[in-house]
Amino acid sequence: MTLELLLIVAFGGAFLTYFLGKISPKLRNSFAVINALALVVMTACLYGQTVEKTLHFGFLGMPFVLRINMLSWFFAITIVGIGLLSIIYSLKYIENEKRLDYYYFTTLFINASMLGTIICGDLVSFFIFWEMMSWSTYLLISYKGGDKALFAGIKYIIMSIIGSLAMLIGIISLYTHFGTLEISTLAVQIQGASLNYILFILIMFSAAFIIINAFWPLHTWLPDAHAEAVSPFSSILSAVLVRKGMYGLYLFMYMILGLNILNKLKFGFISFTGVFCWIGAITIVFAALTALLQNDSKRILAWSTVGQGGYMILGVAFATTLGMAGGTFHILNHCIYIGLLFFVAGAIEYRTGGIRDLDSLGGLIKKMPITFIGGLVGILGLIGMPLTNGFVSKWLIYKTLILGNRPFLAFAAFLGTWGTILYGYKFIHNIFLGQLPEKYKDIKEVPFTMRLPIIILTVLVFLFGILPGIPLKMINIIGVSLGFESLNVSLGGITSDSGTLNTINIFAGILVAGIIIWLIFKAGRKAPKVNQYDSYAAGAAIPKGKYHYTVNFYNPLERMITPYLKDFVDAFYIKITEWIQNLCNSVRRVYTGYVSNYVMYIVLFLAFLIFVQLKWSLW
Amino acid sequence: MGELSLLSNGVNPVLLVVVPLALAFAVPLIGFVSKKIIKYIPVVAFLFNLIVALLLIPSVLKQPIVVKIGGFAPPFCINLVAGPIGILFSALIALAGLLVSIYALNYIREGPQEKYHILYLLLLTGATGVVLTGDIFNLFVFFEILCISSYALVAYLGNKAGIESSIKYLIQGSVGSSLLLLGIGLLYGQFGTLNMADIANQIHSASSPSIFVPMVLMITGLGVEAAIFPLNAWLPDAHSSAPSSISAILSGIAIEVGLYAVIRVLFTIFDASNFLMFFVFLGVLTLLIGEMCAFSQKNIKRMLAYSSIGQIGLIVFAFSIANTYGVTGGFFQLISHTLGKGLLFLAAGYMIYRSGSMDISTFEGMGKRMPLTSLFFTVGAFSIVGLPPFIGFPSKFMIVRAALSTGELLFTILIGIVLLGTVIEGAYFFRVVQVIYFKKGNGNPERKKAPISGLISMFIFVILILVIGVYPNLITKILNSAASELLNRIDYIRSVLG
Repeated sequence: MTLELLLIVAFGGAFLTYFLGKISPKLRNSFAVINALALVVMTACLYGQTVEKTLHFGFLGMPFVLRINMLSWFFAITIVGIGLLSIIYSLKYIENEKRLDYYYFTTLFINASMLGTIICGDLVSFFIFWEMMSWSTYLLISYKGGDKALFAGIKYIIMSIIGSLAMLIGIISLYTHFGTLEISTLAVQIQGASLNYILFILIMFSAAFIIINAFWPLHTWLPDAHAEAVSPFSSILSAVLVRKGMYGLYLFMYMILGLNILNKLKFGFISFTGVFCWIGAITIVFAALTALLQNDSKRILAWSTVGQGGYMILGVAFATTLGMAGGTFHILNHCIYIGLLFFVAGAIEYRTGGIRDLDSLGGLIKKMPITFIGGLVGILGLIGMPLTNGFVSKWLIYKTLILGNRPFLAFAAFLGTWGTILYGYKFIHNIFLGQLPEKYKDIKEVPFTMRLPIIILTVLVFLFGILPGIPLKMINIIGVSLGFESLNVSLGGITSDSGTLNTINIFAGILVAGIIIWLIFKAGRKAPKVNQYDSYAAGAAIPKGKYHYTVNFYNPLERMITPYLKDFVDAFYIKITEWIQNLCNSVRRVYTGYVSNYVMYIVLFLAFLIFVQLKWSLW
Repeated sequence: MGELSLLSNGVNPVLLVVVPLALAFAVPLIGFVSKKIIKYIPVVAFLFNLIVALLLIPSVLKQPIVVKIGGFAPPFCINLVAGPIGILFSALIALAGLLVSIYALNYIREGPQEKYHILYLLLLTGATGVVLTGDIFNLFVFFEILCISSYALVAYLGNKAGIESSIKYLIQGSVGSSLLLLGIGLLYGQFGTLNMADIANQIHSASSPSIFVPMVLMITGLGVEAAIFPLNAWLPDAHSSAPSSISAILSGIAIEVGLYAVIRVLFTIFDASNFLMFFVFLGVLTLLIGEMCAFSQKNIKRMLAYSSIGQIGLIVFAFSIANTYGVTGGFFQLISHTLGKGLLFLAAGYMIYRSGSMDISTFEGMGKRMPLTSLFFTVGAFSIVGLPPFIGFPSKFMIVRAALSTGELLFTILIGIVLLGTVIEGAYFFRVVQVIYFKKGNGNPERKKAPISGLISMFIFVILILVIGVYPNLITKILNSAASELLNRIDYIRSVLG
């Protein structure tokens, strides 16, 4: 009953929120929060349960299967968690926009459909929820209006539809072959299928999941969509919605096909998982370097979402115990810090009146300290500094690549991290450091309901960084259920033959070192404090607000890499679209507007049929 | 249950044709009494038809009802065959007719209203007659009733575009009708009978060239009304210049009935199973051309009209796969198109009325000005594109399943192409939805709802789209028996000829 109840609360809550909004906005806001909170509580209560139940009122005679296990719980908790924080954050952020009923409804509806994809146990319900998620997301991406947002929305929905139609062919092909779409039955029956057929199905499914995951070369929708959506929704998009693609890959590659078949999919030296690893590597490098070139706070984060996806697939597709754990953990970590960073970018937008241009921000550290700490911690997590959660998952992934003797993949992963450090620093520096522009003198910290999500996520970054054992235990169970070996997990990390990670020791070490350094500085001379405008400029006096080193931040580097980073994939897609548009225009000329032509068509059609029959007697 | 079947045995399918026909001729008489009640006559007529059709469903599912008019046994009389297909279509016609006539209560305010309602009743009477008749000449007659009333209704608004496209439609329609009549004549000459079941029974006794020519003539003739490429050039003009309520009927009922006649001729009369492969390609071609033309349209009604061509292509494709899934999917897609496109035309009708132009770009900010109508339009658009949980999804699902269950590579490739057509379709519908909701309109943001009768009728469309979309099992039973009627022609012949 709980699973049905979860769905009912999720969908019912969305509709109820909409209608309550017609009565009173306050009521709607509090109900939305309560609804999101209820989902978190209900999902949390499902921890550790493995339930599968079949309801016989399904679609076209197929049963509707609901199911939860550790894997789906893991994804479900990220969805409801980020959903709740995003709703709380929206309360103030979105306050002055129009059509709020619509906004809250769509947000809750998207969360509900995502939850649906996670807890259903048959592919047809999976597809139905998946499509509901797609179109409702499209309805929210363009929420802000304006040409850019419209373009982002249409780009997203077209790519998403292409992916899901490919998946639909895969699903129906499975149905005609095996007569069932229940995941657990399918997992047994598919073992007997031929490899060519499995490859066909796998490609069909992968197309959908690669698109939604925004892996190179199908990533082009993401930067536009994430940058143009409203910030609370960007964080949902980036943190959980994109990762539905990862869930799909787990579901299809590991749960249905299983490791055995996956390892058999080899053609010469090209293996299926190997291809995925390289897609991951290219995605990492390409996205990290492209992010460097961005001057828009949310675009940087959007590109980093693309890049971090590369790490996940690198770990997961590597298909070793360690890689699996690393990839899965990275999904959780990325969800936490990218959610945090989008909240930070949104906070800046909120206070500066929608400014996302990094060249015109700066010096906000003192004005918005909490936001600054959130941003810093988020970036540190993104880079993978020790003591943050990103460190542990990246450590696992690096370890996997090194143990697996894949120096090139490992190099790509490292290169991505260097890029991340550069753009991460740019993000922090251009927004928070340097001189404060005159016009932002009276800026205040964001209100409490916006600070709260930032604080919670900041704490989580450290919590899972210092005590990674908490999520790793869960991830270990997932790994075992997908057919991997068990890991030796302790609260502070992992012990294995090839290396031990203990973050508690690192924490203690850093704490001691920190205290020593602090004591040394304490003993030394006090540093003189100057005000923010007191900049040194080789002896020349500089007018206020003129000296802020942000424009052309990495100029030499940019000049070096730009020629290699043309997003030719995107250009190629746009070209195809134009080509199709022209084609459509010329096809339209068939209908000339002259009725004599039309009558001629009718007569010619008849003549053609009779001629063909007389000549070849085909029919 | 027993009581219900008793009751339905008492209902005669002839009523489905006779009542609207009689009421059509009664309209001028009632007009003498009161001009105001005229517009309620179609509502009454189709409510009656809907009830009759629904009552007939249980008994028809057991055994087709053959009505002998004049008391002679079938080959010698004009007979009605109310099988699952006939009743399915009559119910659909009555449903769409009812909802659109509710919509028209308020929508049709200008012009000769009396004539509108007469023609409207005649159009749908013709449609019902076509799907129920078991006599091929009778089919031609009903078909002409349908066509002639639609020529007139296209020109109803009396503006230049309306009259021009009506004349174009008339010319092409007449060419089609004469080809059809020629085909029927040739058949009559060969077999000496006009009864469909009787011809079907003897068809294999004739030599193949001598039946090929009448078949091609009939298919070409009917194909004009069914909007199969390249016979469909009248459609975009006619559908876009008719009043929106009529566009909804033309798109939702008229071309569907044309298509019914085509498949009836192909499957039942000529048993042309080896000819169907040609129709598979024709369907895909029709679909692609329709969608591609719709893609570059700036006029909302032309866009919807071209999209109807695309949908017809999809339906033709589904029927031509000719396995159970395909034919069931074809019927399902037919229903979902009637509901979806009907809703779209109705919603577009009031949006055009409000914005004063058919240009899509004038719909900016419509989401604020007409929130409900915009919502209904969006539901219709999503359903046509085939997104769950709307009715377009299960029908598309069935068609894809039909194509894949043949297990042939060719059909896998073709369904890929068909789905690409869906992507194009998605692109232009999503663009319109964006304009309605997200483009910042500079027009007056005054909120004004469509009239209540229009909203009610659109709302019922939406409910049907949602309910069947979520729970398609509701109609699968009748769809399955319709499919088996089409695929087992021997059973059809036997049930008519006894």
